[in-house]
Amino acid sequence: MEIYVHAKTYIYPFLRVLIFLILPAAVFGQNTSAPLINSHQEGIVIDSVTKQPIAGVTLQIKGVTHSVSTGSDGRFTFITGQRLPYALIVSYIGYKTKEVIVDGTPVTIKLSDIVSQLGEVVVVGYGTQRKSDLTGAVASVPKTLLSQPASSFDNLLQGGVSGVAVTQNSGQPGGTANVRIRGGNSISFGNAPLYVIDGFIIYNNNDYTNVGSNGTSVDALSTIDPNDIESIEVLKDASATAIYGSHGANGVVIITTKRGKKGTSNISFSSYYGIQKVSKTLDLLNATQWEQLVNDVNASDGLAPTFSSTQIASAGAGSNWQQAALRTAPILNDELTISGGDEKSRYLISGDYFNQQGTILNSGFKRYSARVNYEKNISEKLKVTANAFGSQSIENKLYGSTYNSINFSNAFANLLTTSPLALIKNADGSYNTANPYLTTPTNPIQDIVATTNQTTLDRFLGNFAAEYKIIPDLALKVSAGADILNTSQDYYAPSYTGSPAGGSTGYAASGYASIGSGNELSWLNENTLTYDHNFNDKHFLTILAGYTTQYTQFKSVVASAQKFPNDLTTYNNLSYAGVPNLPTSTASSQALNSYLGRVNYSYLHKYNFTVSIRADGSSKLGSNNKWGYFPSAGFSWNVDQENFFKPLVNTISAFKLRLTAGQTGNSEVPPYASLSALAPTNYYFGSKLVTGIAPLQLPNPDLKWETTTQYDGGFDLGFFDGRINLTFDAYYKKTTNLLLNVPLPLYTGYASELENVGSVENKGLELGINTENVKMARFKWKTNLQVAANRNKVLSLGTGVTSYFPIAPIGQVSPVIVKVGLPVGTFWGYSTNGLLTAADLTNGAPLLSGVPQKAGDTKYVDSNGDGKITTADKHNLGSAQPRFTGGITNTFTFGQFDLSVFFQGSYGSKIFNLLQQTLERPTTSLNVSAELLNRYSASNPNGTVARPTNSPVPQVTDRYIENGSYLKLKNASLGYNFNSLVASRIHAKQIRIYVSGQNLLAITKYKGFDPEANFYDNDNTKQGIDYGTYPPVRTFLAGVNVTF
Amino acid sequence: MKKISNIKLIVFLTAVSLTGTYSCKKLDENPSSVIVASQFYKTASDANSAVNAVYSTLNSDPAGDFPLYGRQLNLLTENASDNQIYSPSNTNPDVRALGTVSYISSNSRVQKVWQQLYYGINRANIAIDNIPSIQMDTTWRARLVRESKFIRGLLYFNLVRLYGAVPLVLHNPTTIDPTALLVGRTSTDSIYNQIISDLKDATSLPKSYSGTDVSRATAGAAHALLAKVYLTKQDWTNALAQLNIVIGGGYGYALFPNYYDAFQKATKNGKEHIFSVQFETNLGAVNSEQYLSLSFTSFNTQTWPIDVPADSSLYKLFSATDARRAVTFYSSVYNAATGQTVVFNNPYVPYFNKFVDYSLTPLTTQGQSGINYPVLRYADVLLMYAEAQNELNGGPTTDAYAAINQVRTRANVPNLAAGLSQSDFRDSLFLERRKEFIQEGHRWFDLVRRGGTVLVDALHKIPAKSAASSKNTLFPIPLVEIQLNPKLTQNPGY
Repeated sequence: MEIYVHAKTYIYPFLRVLIFLILPAAVFGQNTSAPLINSHQEGIVIDSVTKQPIAGVTLQIKGVTHSVSTGSDGRFTFITGQRLPYALIVSYIGYKTKEVIVDGTPVTIKLSDIVSQLGEVVVVGYGTQRKSDLTGAVASVPKTLLSQPASSFDNLLQGGVSGVAVTQNSGQPGGTANVRIRGGNSISFGNAPLYVIDGFIIYNNNDYTNVGSNGTSVDALSTIDPNDIESIEVLKDASATAIYGSHGANGVVIITTKRGKKGTSNISFSSYYGIQKVSKTLDLLNATQWEQLVNDVNASDGLAPTFSSTQIASAGAGSNWQQAALRTAPILNDELTISGGDEKSRYLISGDYFNQQGTILNSGFKRYSARVNYEKNISEKLKVTANAFGSQSIENKLYGSTYNSINFSNAFANLLTTSPLALIKNADGSYNTANPYLTTPTNPIQDIVATTNQTTLDRFLGNFAAEYKIIPDLALKVSAGADILNTSQDYYAPSYTGSPAGGSTGYAASGYASIGSGNELSWLNENTLTYDHNFNDKHFLTILAGYTTQYTQFKSVVASAQKFPNDLTTYNNLSYAGVPNLPTSTASSQALNSYLGRVNYSYLHKYNFTVSIRADGSSKLGSNNKWGYFPSAGFSWNVDQENFFKPLVNTISAFKLRLTAGQTGNSEVPPYASLSALAPTNYYFGSKLVTGIAPLQLPNPDLKWETTTQYDGGFDLGFFDGRINLTFDAYYKKTTNLLLNVPLPLYTGYASELENVGSVENKGLELGINTENVKMARFKWKTNLQVAANRNKVLSLGTGVTSYFPIAPIGQVSPVIVKVGLPVGTFWGYSTNGLLTAADLTNGAPLLSGVPQKAGDTKYVDSNGDGKITTADKHNLGSAQPRFTGGITNTFTFGQFDLSVFFQGSYGSKIFNLLQQTLERPTTSLNVSAELLNRYSASNPNGTVARPTNSPVPQVTDRYIENGSYLKLKNASLGYNFNSLVASRIHAKQIRIYVSGQNLLAITKYKGFDPEANFYDNDNTKQGIDYGTYPPVRTFLAGVNVTF
Repeated sequence: MKKISNIKLIVFLTAVSLTGTYSCKKLDENPSSVIVASQFYKTASDANSAVNAVYSTLNSDPAGDFPLYGRQLNLLTENASDNQIYSPSNTNPDVRALGTVSYISSNSRVQKVWQQLYYGINRANIAIDNIPSIQMDTTWRARLVRESKFIRGLLYFNLVRLYGAVPLVLHNPTTIDPTALLVGRTSTDSIYNQIISDLKDATSLPKSYSGTDVSRATAGAAHALLAKVYLTKQDWTNALAQLNIVIGGGYGYALFPNYYDAFQKATKNGKEHIFSVQFETNLGAVNSEQYLSLSFTSFNTQTWPIDVPADSSLYKLFSATDARRAVTFYSSVYNAATGQTVVFNNPYVPYFNKFVDYSLTPLTTQGQSGINYPVLRYADVLLMYAEAQNELNGGPTTDAYAAINQVRTRANVPNLAAGLSQSDFRDSLFLERRKEFIQEGHRWFDLVRRGGTVLVDALHKIPAKSAASSKNTLFPIPLVEIQLNPKLTQNPGY
């Protein structure tokens, strides 16, 4: 029972926290008044919505001082001595006080809470707001999407909110997702939204979780248990996000975790178990086909065939390396939640265990987490809240090439290119390392199995707040919290593997170990004053003022060593190594001081105004520009409240117009970016290593934040008493003062300088429709459709610069360009037009300069008509940015069954299939794509794939810029809710069982594994490049939720 | 209710203390993990580190690209000459374009060499400007400045030969205003004057070093480089004067008895090595890989080396007795693991051998090669001496013959036929230079400095280099520099 062992080790510290938090509850939770005796009148008080009994409700007979309270079951009894009918005043904190006329016994009294009395409330920055008074574009992620199984909640944002585009970068469990709200504003830095969890700003930076390991990034957000999340609100426009100032430009995702409800006491257990399979594999050559190819390659070099016709005839299928690394992998989650509350305090304690094994051997993700949320009304004036969360996540990932690597050396891609002639295992079951086509005597499956590449993330997030009502309308809130994220990464490439080791392989390094450790601490103190007053039920005014400070420090150290005498100690003891490598370490700190203010004013809930401003002082910016000011203004008009609208109300039940404008910022530069930093270099004198110190960059004291000015106009429409709800937004964003690495003349000794130049625009339309298609007693059908279109364009890159190529891995040509007038990260390459024929050559068709071309080679299009093919013929081949994104969720309820079906899609994006380009490069040692069966050769002059030669130059051509549009059935889930009679047999309040499938169907023309592949992670200029990522998986699972 | 008041009090005290203590976090950055220029250039140790950084531009690239010496420069001076062509493993079209002499101004390698040369020049400029005001031992201080001037001279010498008139930059920029940074080209004469001035200053460096200073720039290196500068300018008198100092000035330079020893780890910085760029195995330095050693990477005969000879004519230049042939090329390698000798057999064999480090285990880890890159060897001095004598005296002198024959004798080839005309001697001399210095970055410079159509004629002998034309006697100014800077003009033909 692995879970118990770990529970003891990891959950114990959080139990201690829990005890500290619960103690005050025990002290202050027992002040219920003693009930009066001699009862005649009986009854129960329940919540009007949840129908749950409410404990501790005060009932007082009008005009008399006698009062009683309800017990824990919500029931009350007392002798009245009053003649029927009489009035009872029923009151309870958080609920609207009600006057009930009693004319018999027993009675059921329904109390509605203040929230629902005022209408729906949404969480906004530094507070909540009545939905009808909202001016900004704020959307909630549908609950049905939140309940999908996922290792990290950022994956859950996909398809549920219009204007939020999410790309899962790979199928690696615990891998990152790329989230863009209304397109990317920045070219160089920070396009991810800001995450705020229970009011705490998470400084999300995946650099903090990548210290010295190898391969894809680890998602720092995967440390958060998605099951704890009650709701996710997405703030999209400036009116909503400007309160977050220099953090707000990329949108804000506000996460509220689950908490206890008053008058309840629940224990719920939920669990699911599923299996995952790779949903697609690539077609490669088998042994026979590969031998034929090698002979063709030889022929093109004028060499004798390597394989005889007898060898070819007897080769058969050979080894299927791809399949041999795959497995059917389990995914499971167990969660126990204890929650409840009385009239003064509410609590929730949860523990969760999540384990997702990878579909590729030796990969997976595990998480142990615990949470305690506690709230207490100490008095009518003072309320305290404490949220504490801790988790340990362990990710085992495949080794892979790092960002700027020369070599194509991802674990999985290595398998694809391994010759089918090589045996996977020897007769005795050991891995065969005698592959004559590999440079080292290694086996790529053994590499995957034997290489350790493990990341352990420990996160503790604690937040404490006290809210004090100085006068009834004026509340002071002071909160303090800390987020601690410790990362340790362990890597070991044994001496018998070909997995990467520093600059070489485990084999070449005779064993290579690397250990990295990163410690992040971020603390946040927020002090806000909120004045909330209603003047004559006409003028509703809320004023917020505050001061906050956030301080983040990060330290990391990476040590590595090689040449181990044996592989016994792996990464655990570097001192066994024969050769140490130079260790590296870093430390940085940053501070952000902010003043913020907001005024919400509503006249009769008809005309609503919001004005906000935030002043941010950031340590990271230049000394001349530390402070930035970010204002916004919003107006909304509830047209449906107007008298002239009354005749229409039966059809159009709600109509609201919104108009907002504002500025937000982005200061996501690394610390010390504005300083004249010097960097270490090395040289040797007489075989002695010495350190040199040389300038890294020129100082820029004027460095400041990027400014995004956003205008948004939209409307919300409801038809037929809310059966159809429609939200539409149109926006325009212009980001100026881009933080760009401006190229300097190279003769200065510097390649570039980080400056504020250039601008980018994003404009788009968003539409969200919620409908209740069928609303019958036993059958309900609801649909949620979200679609969005965003257009991104570079407006300027500074004086004299019209385009530049982002840095490409060494030895490669950049497939993308950043060019004025085009979307950021546009693919740039040649168009092709089939293959060169002998006739083309005699007719003098333009040929690629620098490379001898023959019949059967790729025929490039001379797009500038100068008679030759040079880099000047490269042109725009499209961009990875989709034209439309969207999702549609249908939920059906039939009696006790519920079914939800969620489709998600993206249209109009292009993917650079770099993996395919590599797999279509014939060599005499590596396997290739089955596309090469259709190659041009003397015997197949009608072939459509270029003539095989040994190591042809790969060019970025339209052949590999593929259509990335897709429609996926992301989730389908069928559940059954047992009726309360059945549930009560096991003393449960609620039992639900369900089966669910994820990624069941994908409709796409994309030839690679998955059109969502995104090798370069968060690099905004290199989106949509598929360099062989972890393949996508299909999941089937079954689960149960029980509440006692 | 008493309890509650206490709680309130605690909450407020907490709030007040939090606000008071932490909220005024200073916004000034005091980086603890990064050195800032204002903290630096204060001590002798700082001066030393600044000069180490100047040297490090020779063997490393900040972005992890090929080091200047260690491959990048060779792409221009060997691949674009008649010695080498692109290897099938060169998938970068820009590398291939150099091999076929069809490069254009946007060629990333042409740009990178330019950038790396100026990287080093800027570091040298900073050292030369900042060190004189540092309070430290004056002898040491003067030496550090002179070492920097030697490197600056070397790098400008490469620049002016590769690109012609280039911007003459002698100070670290004091502004980031792009327009203020724009300068035009400086005449080659002015560049040469600066080079000569820097190198003359460097001739006051020590004759030799001991201990851990071995391999720093010496007076002998400055004289030898100065000789090369004069030779390139065809100033034979001055060239000869400098060469006489190197040969007869008591520096102790001599040829190794074995040609082989010029390219061994065990004999690095020996008597033949006047100035070498240092590479070392397993000392943990970053970004300073010797890529020329990747001429051998694998016992797999299907794997290509990083660079290959232009064609079989190069190997055929050597007689069977020439000791340099077996040092310069290999076609088979002994595999200690299997006890077998692996024979490579394809149209590109034999492969280059000089920088393969046979002391490594396993042999395939050539990325850790510790073979130095010789910038100036005594053999070069002897051949320059023979050349200067031949040019200055209207034909070969006895001294000229003696010098070239010293090189030939060591290579185990007979003396040069006596009584050659000036031009025949010149041809023999340049052939000798070619055979002596394969992979050592001299070939393209040698072809160009002979002037006329020598370069183009040589290149046209290689079928794949038929695109070569007279414009190829200079490389193009990198396109990005031209685009950024209207004051820069392009070299003719690009």
